Amino acid sequence: MSEVVPAVEICHLVKDFRTSFKRELLRAVDDVSIRIMPGEVYGLIGPNGSGKSTTMKALLGLVAPTSGRCSIFGKDSLQVDSRNEVGFLPENPYFYKHLSGEETLRFYGKLCGLGGTKLRDRIGELLELVDLVGARHRRIGGYSKGMLQRIGLAQALIQQPRLVILDEPTAGVDPLGSRQIRDLIFKLKEQGITVFLCSHLLEQVQEVCDHVGIIFRGRMVKEGRLEDLIAIEDQTELVLRNASPGLIAEIEALIGKNAGVELVRSGKPRTTLERLFLRETHGEEKTR
Amino acid sequence: MSIQQMTSHLSRVGVIMHHSFTQLVRMKVFYFLAFFAVILIASNFFNLPQHEGPEVAGAHVLTSIKSWSLGAMTLFSVVLSIVATALLLPKDVEDRTLYTILAKPVPRIDYLAGKLLGVMSLVFVSLLIMDVLMVAILQLRMNLVLDTQVALAVASGWPAADVENLKKEIISQGPTLSLQGAVFAVFLRSMVIASFALMISTFSTSTLFTTIVSFLIYFIGHFQADARMIYMNQAFGSDDGWLSQSIGLLVALVLPDFQIFNVIDAVVQGKLMPLAVMAELAGMGLFYFGFYLFASWFIFAEKEF
Repeated sequence: MSEVVPAVEICHLVKDFRTSFKRELLRAVDDVSIRIMPGEVYGLIGPNGSGKSTTMKALLGLVAPTSGRCSIFGKDSLQVDSRNEVGFLPENPYFYKHLSGEETLRFYGKLCGLGGTKLRDRIGELLELVDLVGARHRRIGGYSKGMLQRIGLAQALIQQPRLVILDEPTAGVDPLGSRQIRDLIFKLKEQGITVFLCSHLLEQVQEVCDHVGIIFRGRMVKEGRLEDLIAIEDQTELVLRNASPGLIAEIEALIGKNAGVELVRSGKPRTTLERLFLRETHGEEKTR
Repeated sequence: MSIQQMTSHLSRVGVIMHHSFTQLVRMKVFYFLAFFAVILIASNFFNLPQHEGPEVAGAHVLTSIKSWSLGAMTLFSVVLSIVATALLLPKDVEDRTLYTILAKPVPRIDYLAGKLLGVMSLVFVSLLIMDVLMVAILQLRMNLVLDTQVALAVASGWPAADVENLKKEIISQGPTLSLQGAVFAVFLRSMVIASFALMISTFSTSTLFTTIVSFLIYFIGHFQADARMIYMNQAFGSDDGWLSQSIGLLVALVLPDFQIFNVIDAVVQGKLMPLAVMAELAGMGLFYFGFYLFASWFIFAEKEF
């Protein structure tokens, strides 16, 4: 059986920048490694300036790694053909204001080598998917923030990529628009499309992501399956179906007989992603 | 590179070129054509000092139309080339539309070439419209002058051979192939300055900086040949040595020599522009264009966003 090629593989990525005047070295990303398998939804979270966007840009070949390497479906991300399989939505995208929604999608579609009926049909599908059929002939300059994000998502999907990279997809979008984008991510997930997103909205990340990485001051401080990360390590959860009160009483009695074992509570002993994030980032700050 | 890859490159360049052209058109840049029309009409009424006799009266207006039209064409094409090129690239970076384009399978050279050709197609269309207007006005005016002058000559009893010469003289001041050559030279010059502006905008972060530097280079470029000769004569006494020739070549490569495209004055005076000169200008124009585009790519390929 052939080995599955990761959708995204970032190996020991380091990115240094120099400041404008003093030319001081600034390390934006420090030895970050990420592996995303096809079909996964991966969330990269971190405070402002933690290196999320730089990591994404390195993956897209917009910045060159100082050391380490990035690949998309096995192709080096500095190679142009690695982008055949990628759709990207940047943070706060501003598309060409003089184009309508439909013209915008046609422009990006043609850049990907699409044309004719195939492109026309794809534009129709995407406008329907992002609920912008009614605004297809309206100039982008007249779009609201939420509409811009949705047309941005549509352009990211134009060539039916296997990987979609979303940088703060709900930044500045109202709750309703935010929910629409979240639903779109669910649809992508259902279609088996790999999603790599970074966001500040931790609840949303928790809702849609299978895997999460927490990046802080350029370093990956925690990474793994979401379910594993938010589980409390010194506690055990038993999930029972159709358990009678008698059985529960018996279990509780059994627990009482074991020294050092304590029934904390019944239910789901989980922390929230937000708590985990704050603990990891503040904890890291104290150690520096 | 396979034919398929080449087609793919050309197709992407075409898409970006078409888009840049549309973008500039929708920015209403063609409004300047109204100014050109005003200048063209006004040039019919400018009185130039006349030193010749009454037998050529009226022919001066033809020179005036050509002179003002070609001058306006030069001004508009250079301003358009510099400003449009200086605007497009930084705007894409600022609006982050560049991220979405480069995140697609678009090589950076395709992006740059598309942008530059978009500007050039706008300049080409603008010059074409101005040229058509100029030729139309010039043809009308030439017919009037021809009728008046021939009637005057015949009435004065000129021999048939002299009348024929007069006709030829007046026709040579009308729309000629050489006049089209001058328009072509205007286009080539704007092509060179646009490619230079593109190179500046690949490392400049400001549209204003790119615009100012490009205009400066445009003016310096008109004296480049003179400055080079003065330098050579002072430094080496003569320009026959291999060193002086090499330095001359290097300077000529780095700074564009705009003086070589300055064929307008001769054409306005009704002189013929040989096809060989046109071909030479085209060769030089394409060389500078290719050189600055390649230099832009060299810088832009390493640029981080």
